[in-house]
Amino acid sequence: MAFRLQRLPSVRPEIAVAAHAVAIGLAFVVGGIAVTISGHNAFTLAAKVLTASFGSEFGLEDFGLLFGPLMLTGLAAAVTLRIGLWNIGAEGQFYIGAVFATGVGLFFSGPPWLMLTAMFLAGGIGGALWILVPTLARAYANVNEIITTLLLNFVAVLVVNYLSTGLWRDRKQSVLGATARIPYEVPNLSGSLHAGILVAVAAVVLMALLIRYTRWGYEVRISGANIFAAHYAGIPVRSRLISVMLISGAIAGIAGMLEVAGTVHRLQGGISNNFGYLGIIVAVLAGGSPIGVVFSGFVMAVILNAGIILQAQGILLNDVLAMTGLILFFTAIGEQVAHYRIVATHVVAQEA
Amino acid sequence: MSVALDRSLAHGVGHVADPDAAPVVSLRGITKIFPGLIANDAVDFDIRAGEIHALLGENGAGKSTLMNVLTGIYQPDAGQILLDGQPTRFVSPAQAIGAGIGMIHQHFKLIQAFTVAENIHLGWGETPVLISAKDIEDRTRILAEKFNLAVRPEARIDEISAGEQQRVEILKVLARGARILILDEPTAVLTPPEARELFKALRQFRAAGNSVVFISHKLDEVLAISDRITILRAGKKVALREAAGCTPSILANLMVGRDVVLHHARPASPHQANPGDPPPMVLQDVSALNDRGLPALTGIELELRAGEILGIAGVAGNGQRELSEVLTGVRPLQGGDIVIAGYRVPSSNPAMFRDAGIGHIPEDRLRSGLAPSLSIIDNAVLREYVIPPVARGHFIDHGSAAALAKRIAKDAEVGIPSFQMPVRNLSGGNQQRLVARREMRIAKSVLVAAYPTRGLDVGAINTMIDYLVALRDSGVAVVMFSEELEELLNLADRIAVLYEGRIMGIFNAKGADMEEIGLLMGGKTKHGERVA
Repeated sequence: MAFRLQRLPSVRPEIAVAAHAVAIGLAFVVGGIAVTISGHNAFTLAAKVLTASFGSEFGLEDFGLLFGPLMLTGLAAAVTLRIGLWNIGAEGQFYIGAVFATGVGLFFSGPPWLMLTAMFLAGGIGGALWILVPTLARAYANVNEIITTLLLNFVAVLVVNYLSTGLWRDRKQSVLGATARIPYEVPNLSGSLHAGILVAVAAVVLMALLIRYTRWGYEVRISGANIFAAHYAGIPVRSRLISVMLISGAIAGIAGMLEVAGTVHRLQGGISNNFGYLGIIVAVLAGGSPIGVVFSGFVMAVILNAGIILQAQGILLNDVLAMTGLILFFTAIGEQVAHYRIVATHVVAQEA
Repeated sequence: MSVALDRSLAHGVGHVADPDAAPVVSLRGITKIFPGLIANDAVDFDIRAGEIHALLGENGAGKSTLMNVLTGIYQPDAGQILLDGQPTRFVSPAQAIGAGIGMIHQHFKLIQAFTVAENIHLGWGETPVLISAKDIEDRTRILAEKFNLAVRPEARIDEISAGEQQRVEILKVLARGARILILDEPTAVLTPPEARELFKALRQFRAAGNSVVFISHKLDEVLAISDRITILRAGKKVALREAAGCTPSILANLMVGRDVVLHHARPASPHQANPGDPPPMVLQDVSALNDRGLPALTGIELELRAGEILGIAGVAGNGQRELSEVLTGVRPLQGGDIVIAGYRVPSSNPAMFRDAGIGHIPEDRLRSGLAPSLSIIDNAVLREYVIPPVARGHFIDHGSAAALAKRIAKDAEVGIPSFQMPVRNLSGGNQQRLVARREMRIAKSVLVAAYPTRGLDVGAINTMIDYLVALRDSGVAVVMFSEELEELLNLADRIAVLYEGRIMGIFNAKGADMEEIGLLMGGKTKHGERVA
């Protein structure tokens, strides 16, 4: 009697979920060991993080302010995964969405509901415009979208820096490196938590429904699963690809609009908080599923929030962000391991 | 033992397989299990020095699996390999070739962009570390002469014929000292004359005291080449026979396990085309490029007729894929016109071809006919998701989609435990049946079937052929690609021969000259000159 690993062609959903859970657990164990070695008590720190995040209204509000944008940027990356593409540029689209929304908010005026709607649309349009060139390059010239969307992030950062420290700088209060306060604000739900999180949840549900219940969603799923089969079936792959990429950009842009109009209230450098890049991790953890983004976005928000809380304990934010790397690492392994099962064999053959 | 040590291919040695000699290799009780499938079930198989031993069985009987176990690609779940009487275990093909066992796979494992000489020397311990292109070409030339296999050392793989590629594969294995040569369906890619050349080379190899395992499901060629025949059925060894004294019908019955009618005699179609109707599809001077942008089809003139099966004969790789894709709107035209039911249509619009009632059973179903990771339901509705009841406006009605999937599975006689599971969990034969049934539903005027019987067992082949005949009788124009000339002669009303992207001729199947068609498949006419 011997044992042998056997690879299965597909993974049952419950096994896949379990593999993700174990991976996240292992990442926390490794993180805990590292923290212990550096002289802290991992359990005390964990308790502190949990009580600070979930034990008070303030903690929950701060947590919600991270959770909302992570769901949106995660969703932006997840929808492109459904058609087999990578949007690495949610960071840039986030910034440009914020720029467009700020432009509308600063230079136009009207009733708040109208202005917020206009800023919302402007944010979406800004994000979509920022991914337009990579989209067309991909659709018509087969240019790798990973490179183009990534590189445009750096351009977007520079655009925001230029506007916030130059052209749109707040001259009245001589604030350095930020625009004037935008007079229109996303309504607050509780304390500092604004309604953006509801927009994020609505976007996730809407995309999940679109992908599952519409012909468009079916065509996107077929195109993502096998582009040859999509061509064969007469699906307009190019137009589906363009629509998915533009929607992805718009979602990231809206995340930027909500951040600037709900949380920061000014356009300034660094407002993205790396949400765009973290969204990629959120989407991968979610396996490209919009609903999965809610769960992986939650985990990511816990980690980010922990980072902020632990800074007070002398642990750097970057150390905590290393946790996200560990989680991705273990998840990638877990996804492969989930394909295997152990079987008993009766090999008679002897070793050569 | 002396045979085992003599690895040269001396000529003129008489063929003497000593029936009492210990086998060179023997497989005992080999069992190999895949998820949901026992590919080999306690199979015994032995190979003597100086014999050609055929391994016969239907597609999926476990022939290739057994040989993959012998050559170290798979590890057996149970059983033993004896090499010269010693228990052995190969964990890689490199170990097997080191022991003198070489396999020529059905799909050649050559690097397309490398020359013949480079392929021969790739991954070979005896290749000097530093060597010039000229030196390896010279070495290859010497090897080719030694083993009497005609190859051009300087030619790139992608510019030589399938027959020559096969010789390169064989030379590669012989150069590494093989004394047991395993060939998996070697004639599938060859023209009849090329197959005769191969058989000659194999007999020479045997004459030197070496052994050949010849995997095939073709009865005639097995009888023509082999000394002994082992027959597998559904993973089990069912018989071991001397070739002398066997007949095709004995072998067919052993292979299938029941009496088989070998020839599908089909009555002509009762369908009478209305003379006033335009033909369902006409190709006029059509040319198209392959995926690498090279000309694949040139000057194709083809008229499909309602209620007729048009067979496309040809050796694989002569433009079949491209022609089937042109006929179904998947591949853009380089020149020429497609006229459907009297209307000239823009090319490369598969949705429009679908709406015109043109079904397509593609050559490689997993690559182009199915989305393997998606559910059986998603795959079942691939052709009908745009029309009610599956489509409800812009939405998909999941209830109707599931009903359609059940309907297709029932028509295809495929038992499915869960319609939510990925379609790749089904066996190749069941995938093929589902695709065929799905396409037949939309094929109101034309069905393009590329190798529709490939990968099916004899029973399923009969069902598939009944499908095609029923479609033909209902007035659909069926285009059937096949590499089995006999299948086409039995089934088709007309046969077009495709060679290097051209139609070499169109024949009425009744009374067609098999020899002439065979020659045209190789680009030659009956008088010996090369066409094209």
